[in-house]
Amino acid sequence: MNNISLPPLVALLVFPGGLFLMALGLAYEYIDRKLVARFQNRLGPRWFQPLADLVKLLAKEEIIPDGVHRGLFIILPVIAVAGALTAALYTPLAGFMPAYSFPGDLVVTLYLLSVMTLSMGLAGANTADRFSLIGATRTLTQLFSYEAPFLLALLGPAIAAGSWQISTINLYAENNRWMIFTQPVGFIVAIIGLMGKLELPPFDAPEAETEIVAGALTEYSGRGYALFRLGKDIELVIGLTLVSAFYLGGLANPLEFLLKTLALLLVVAALQSLFARLRIDQTVGLWWRAGAILGLVQLAVIIAGSSWLRPLLFK
Amino acid sequence: MSIGSMLGDILKSFFKKPATEKYPFERYEPSQNLRGKLVYNPEKCSGCQLCIKDCPADAIELLVVDKANKRFVMRYHTDRCTFCGQCIESCRFECLNMTGEQWELASLKKEPFEVYYGRDEDIQFLLDRAAQPGTGEPCGGEGEGA
Amino acid sequence: MDLEPNKKFVVPIGPQHPALKEPGHFEFAVDGEIVTGATVRLGFVHRGIEKSAESRTYVQNLYLMERVCGICSHVHGTAFTIGVEHLAGVTVPPRANAIRVLVAELERIHSHMLWLGVAAHEGGFDTLFMYSWRDREKVMDILEEISGNRVHYSANVIGGVKFDISEEQRGKILSSLDFLEERTRHYLKVVNEDETFLGRTVGVGIMTREQAESLGAVGPTARASGVERDIRVDAPYAGYEQFPVRMITDTRGDLHARFVVRIEELFEAYRVIREILDHMPEGELTARVPRRIPAGETISRVEAPRGELLYYIKSNGTDMPERVKVRTPSLCNWGSITSVAVGHKLADMPMLLVGIDPCFSCNDRTITIKSAGVDLGWTWEDLRQHGIEAYR
Repeated sequence: MNNISLPPLVALLVFPGGLFLMALGLAYEYIDRKLVARFQNRLGPRWFQPLADLVKLLAKEEIIPDGVHRGLFIILPVIAVAGALTAALYTPLAGFMPAYSFPGDLVVTLYLLSVMTLSMGLAGANTADRFSLIGATRTLTQLFSYEAPFLLALLGPAIAAGSWQISTINLYAENNRWMIFTQPVGFIVAIIGLMGKLELPPFDAPEAETEIVAGALTEYSGRGYALFRLGKDIELVIGLTLVSAFYLGGLANPLEFLLKTLALLLVVAALQSLFARLRIDQTVGLWWRAGAILGLVQLAVIIAGSSWLRPLLFK
Repeated sequence: MSIGSMLGDILKSFFKKPATEKYPFERYEPSQNLRGKLVYNPEKCSGCQLCIKDCPADAIELLVVDKANKRFVMRYHTDRCTFCGQCIESCRFECLNMTGEQWELASLKKEPFEVYYGRDEDIQFLLDRAAQPGTGEPCGGEGEGA
Repeated sequence: MDLEPNKKFVVPIGPQHPALKEPGHFEFAVDGEIVTGATVRLGFVHRGIEKSAESRTYVQNLYLMERVCGICSHVHGTAFTIGVEHLAGVTVPPRANAIRVLVAELERIHSHMLWLGVAAHEGGFDTLFMYSWRDREKVMDILEEISGNRVHYSANVIGGVKFDISEEQRGKILSSLDFLEERTRHYLKVVNEDETFLGRTVGVGIMTREQAESLGAVGPTARASGVERDIRVDAPYAGYEQFPVRMITDTRGDLHARFVVRIEELFEAYRVIREILDHMPEGELTARVPRRIPAGETISRVEAPRGELLYYIKSNGTDMPERVKVRTPSLCNWGSITSVAVGHKLADMPMLLVGIDPCFSCNDRTITIKSAGVDLGWTWEDLRQHGIEAYR
């Protein structure tokens, strides 16, 4: 893995945080939309569409509805984006060493990623709109259901690498067999957990447009909505980075980063277009009955393997 | 029971051209039978006005210049026309037809929606008369004329 | 927000909502995700078609009636012409009848495929939606090829049909049908086998046969509950006597059964179209019908893609009808939603709504209730006052 040393302000505002991440997020959103469109035999958007959407939304008036806590309404989108941007600082973006790193940053990153979902849930609960309230309930329900399996799925590589530091796990993944082969169950749980986290179809019950319009964000317009969308795009990049760093043999350089995350995005886009939307009760059932148990079994096997089998096999 | 039974479709589509028509850039080639803009041939018209009586949208008017010499001008409002083709059915002399070529009739101005059919000198005669002050509505009354 | 504990939490769907492509208002009282009550309010797109029919000639009315519905325009035209021809005592040539059936079945294909896409979209299965609409273009192309229009084909004239089917068109239709049949088989497989889709359809919105009969459900909605009700079979009109169709029924009554019934009807439509093209009767396309229709009244019924469509026409001997009454199939099926919605998840509501293939604009019309000699109808002034009060 390459190491670059940047002044902290540059690391925060330009690369790998800030502008670079936003641009990458928009680019990945475009690729995702284009891929889904092609899978559905459609043309899909032009390359600048996500940017155009963002600019349009930023330029629009932000309407603050009656009956909301104004401060919360304004600050929640900012917190969401801030959480996502901060999480990026600990991930090996573009194949470079994370800007900041300390033992145990995996847990911090995962919780920073959840801040986004939490903000969306709060944003929905903050407004008096009925669609928002149901959307918020569903968002938080989904948060509780995917979080545990997703965490378990990312813990597998962490335990195998014997570290809770993302850069160490990345390094371990580079030098060992790809963990998609050694821990296939964990990979499947991780990729589906990622889709749940990003509320992509078929796990888009929290924002199912045919039922509850836009879910928790129904009352958002203009700047707030733009920020939430941007936050989601950034999460998409971070999520893809994490999963490919852990399961697809690490990210050693920018080329590897691009190839591996895009390959993963291709799979995610295909999964998005393959299924009918799951009801929220089906999502919860799937996660707790299948996802969590599979993740636990995988984890048990890894722990057993690393503590008993390895001493037995390699004396 | 299976999961992802449309996998074959999406994989095939990934390597295929999208089905989307790029309409304004690539013009769609319609069927020859398409009912497009109405055309009127005054040569065979007897002036019976059955087409006007049957038109459900009041889209056509017949302006009579000289009934004895069978000089007729048809004023056709493309914006009112519903392209049902009843006028063609009603006409016993086959003066009316709908073209398959002209179907992009949208316009930002109102003028292109009013089309005159007939001999050039007859149309000119009517338009000149309409241009004269004091006559008010161009070309006389509702389909009756001079 | 109202935080009174005893107040119901009502989720409004419509008149403007992404799930609805036409305006209608539904209120679902929910307890968490479970629906505890449902109401329907219609009438947002009342257009006064029946009244305006009274000031148009029969020929003009034919085109007005076609525009009652944008999807099933041909059956509306057919129902109206059959009524008028019956009043005038005209027999339509067999070839015209065959072409009427042909266009009606093509229209059924396009309507059912449209529904398949919309229903899949409501269930969040956008891929099925995109594919079924892509393939629906084929049948639209056929309709454009034979009639000249993609939506309002205007195949009918009073006394017959406008166009013939040439040998070249026959070939085009047959080759498109082969493609469509293969795709339909695939969609049937997807609907029957896809685990995620089955999770959204099987056991959802079960309407028993008794319920369907007491609610007066019609069309595929009723047939999916095991009610054998199909005008094409029960009272064959136009060319259905010569080209009979098989009634498709299912006994389960849930959403999945409605999918299966509609898709099976597509196969039946393909079969009937092939049979018509192979055994097209020879002869004239139109019969002469007088402009003035003799006085009398008649009821004509046809099977629209959504169910039984009923026309009542009263003539007073002039060239304009005295009264035209239309009853569209969607109106009969609303009851099935409100009665089966309770106890389901909120997430099932859009699919349940779409399950009857509702057509809002078609069924919006006013009625005047006369009770014990008192006219309960509203005058223009009453309506004006009501409007002022209601929207103050």
